[in-house]
Amino acid sequence: MAKKILIVDDDPDLVEAVTMILESKKYTVAAAYGGIEGLQKAKSEKPDLIVLDVMMPDKDGYAVCKELKSDPNLGKIPILLLTAVVSKISTTRYTQQMGMETEADDYIDKPVEPEVLVKRIEALLAK
Amino acid sequence: MPNQTNILVVDDDRTIRDGCSRILSKSGWTILTAENGQKGLDQIQTLQREIDVVLLDLMMPGLSGMEVLEQSLRMVPDLLVIVITGYATVESAVEAMKRGAYDFVPKPFTPDQLRIVVKRALERRSLQKEAEFLRKEREKSLRDIATEKSKIKTIMNSMGDGVLVCDQDGSIVLTNPAANRMLRLSEDDLLGKLLTEAHLPPELADAILKSLKTRESAFTSISQELSLGAAEEVHLRAHTAPVRNDVGEIMGAVTVLQDISYLKEIDKMKSEFVAMVTHELRAPIAAVEQQLTVILNKMAGEVTEKQEQLLSRAKERTKGLLDLIKDLLDLSKIEAGKMVQYKEPLSLQEVIQRVVELMRVEAEHKKIDLQFSASPETPLIHADRNSMEGIFTNLISNAIKYTPEKGKVWVALSEERGFVKASVSDTGIGIEEENLSRIFDKFFRVKTKETRQIIGTGLGLSIVKSIVAAHLGTISVESKAGTGTTFTILLPKESVSQLSE
Repeated sequence: MAKKILIVDDDPDLVEAVTMILESKKYTVAAAYGGIEGLQKAKSEKPDLIVLDVMMPDKDGYAVCKELKSDPNLGKIPILLLTAVVSKISTTRYTQQMGMETEADDYIDKPVEPEVLVKRIEALLAK
Repeated sequence: MPNQTNILVVDDDRTIRDGCSRILSKSGWTILTAENGQKGLDQIQTLQREIDVVLLDLMMPGLSGMEVLEQSLRMVPDLLVIVITGYATVESAVEAMKRGAYDFVPKPFTPDQLRIVVKRALERRSLQKEAEFLRKEREKSLRDIATEKSKIKTIMNSMGDGVLVCDQDGSIVLTNPAANRMLRLSEDDLLGKLLTEAHLPPELADAILKSLKTRESAFTSISQELSLGAAEEVHLRAHTAPVRNDVGEIMGAVTVLQDISYLKEIDKMKSEFVAMVTHELRAPIAAVEQQLTVILNKMAGEVTEKQEQLLSRAKERTKGLLDLIKDLLDLSKIEAGKMVQYKEPLSLQEVIQRVVELMRVEAEHKKIDLQFSASPETPLIHADRNSMEGIFTNLISNAIKYTPEKGKVWVALSEERGFVKASVSDTGIGIEEENLSRIFDKFFRVKTKETRQIIGTGLGLSIVKSIVAAHLGTISVESKAGTGTTFTILLPKESVSQLSE
C-alpha cells in the first residue's frame, strides 16, 4: 500500500510542486496550507511522514513539530523540516539562533532536488 | 577734577582761610574753604575722595573741630586730616591724632611750616591713591576671571556632547552635565575621583589612562565606542586627547563623549530591513525554482530539448539569486551581531574535517584532489561553530570553483605562537596583484575570461573577513596569477581570546 505523506506549507505553489514530486514516486499526498491546518490533518489523515515548512504565519514549523512530537498518538510520525532558512551544511544555525531545539527527524533546504527529497523520505520511512 | 589736588580748609577765621589759600595755591593745589564745621562736612560729603587733604581748625563755634574730624572720618575712613591747633597745646593735638587725624600744625605757623605739613600729607595721599588703584585693578581682573569662568561653565553646561577632563594623575577635575547624563553618574561620583575608582566603563578609563601615558609629542587622540546599560542600549563614542603644556609635558586629558545610540538604532533597523526583504524575496524565488525543478524532471509532462535548455538556464539564474540572498542574509546577520553569538571551545580540526568531507563530492566532480592535514594536538579556539563552518565552506568551495579540473586543493592546520593557523591553498587561476587588495570588499568580483562562467555574489569573502574579525583573528591572501592562491587565517587560541574578552 502506498505510503501517505502530509505536506504542510503556506505557499500553495510549493505544495503543488512537492506534491507532483511525491506523486511521481507513487506516494499518496495530503496537503495543509498552514500550521494549524497541518496539526488537524496530521490527526485526521494519519500520514506515514510529514514534510513541514518552518516559516508559516499562523503557527511555525517548530511549534507544530513540538506539538506533534509530544502527542502520544502522533509522536512517532517522522518529520522532515523544509526550510528556506537553513544553509547548506549548517543545519542547526536557525534553531540555535531562535534559541529553540527541535525534535524534527531531518532538515532539508528548499528548493529541493527531487532525488534528494525522495532519498531522505525513503531513509526516514525505513527507520 | 581727577588729576588736581584739592585741599579743603575748614576754619572760622577768615584770615587763616585766606592765608592758607594764598600760600598753598602757589604750589598749584586747589584750595576749597569752609567757614564752619557743618559746611566743611557738607563739602566732604559731596566730594568724598576727591578731597586729598583737610586742614581743620579745632576751635570753632558751632560744630567743634573734634566732631568734624570724627564725622568726616566716618564718611571717608582714610581721609587725611591735618588739625590746626589754636593754642599750641600738645594735648588737643595728641587727642586729635588719637581720633584719627593724620598730622597737626600749631597756630601761628609760617608758610613753610604749612607747606611742609601739607606736602607730607600729600605724599601719603599719593601712596594711598596708588594702593587704591592697585586694589581696583586686582578687583577688575578677578572679576574678569570670574566672568570668563562663568562663560566657560555656561558653554560647557549647554553642550550636547559630554566633556570629561582629567589631570595628569588621572583625577577627574571637570565634567559637564551631558557627560554625567551619558555616563549615568552624578557629578559627585566623578569630580575629584581617580579614573580607576569612578565607576567609569573600564574601556573608557583605560583609553584615558593610555592617552595620559602617550609618549609621542605629535597630536594623538583615541576614539572608541562604548556600550552602556543593562541591555547595552546606550552607545557612546569617546574621543580622548592628551593636553600638553608649552614644553610638551602631558598635563591631563580631555575626553569628549557623543551619544550615538540613535545611529546604532538606525543601523540595526537597516540590517533588520535587509533581513526582512531578503526573506520575502527568498520565498517566491524558492517556489519558482521548485516549479522549474518539477518541470525539468518531467513530472509535469514531456519537455522538449529546447525547453529543457531554457528552463535549465532559468534555474541557474534563480540559484544565483538564492545564493546572493543567502549571502545578504548572512551579512545582515553579522551586522546585526547575531551571527557570532555562540562562542564555545571548538576544535577547528573537527570543523574543517567535516567541511572537507561535505565538499569532497563537489571536488570529485571536477577531479580535484582535496586534502586536509592537521598537525597533532592543535589547540582549541573560542569560536562559533556555524560561523567557522561557514568560512571554511566558503574558502574551500571557492578554491574548488576557481581551480581547473585535475587540480589540487589542500587545507592545513597548525599552531603558531598562541594562534591556530589554518590555510586553504589551491592550484587555481590565481588573482592578479591589482585585485588582491580588493577581494575582501563587499560585492567585489574579479572579472576575467576565466571567471565569467563562475557564479558568485562577491559577498563570500567579505563575510569570511567579518567573521574572522569577530573572532579577533586575521585573514591574509597570497596569490600568483595562473599558479594558485593561499588564504591564511590566524585565530587566537582558546585561553588567549578569552583573556581579551
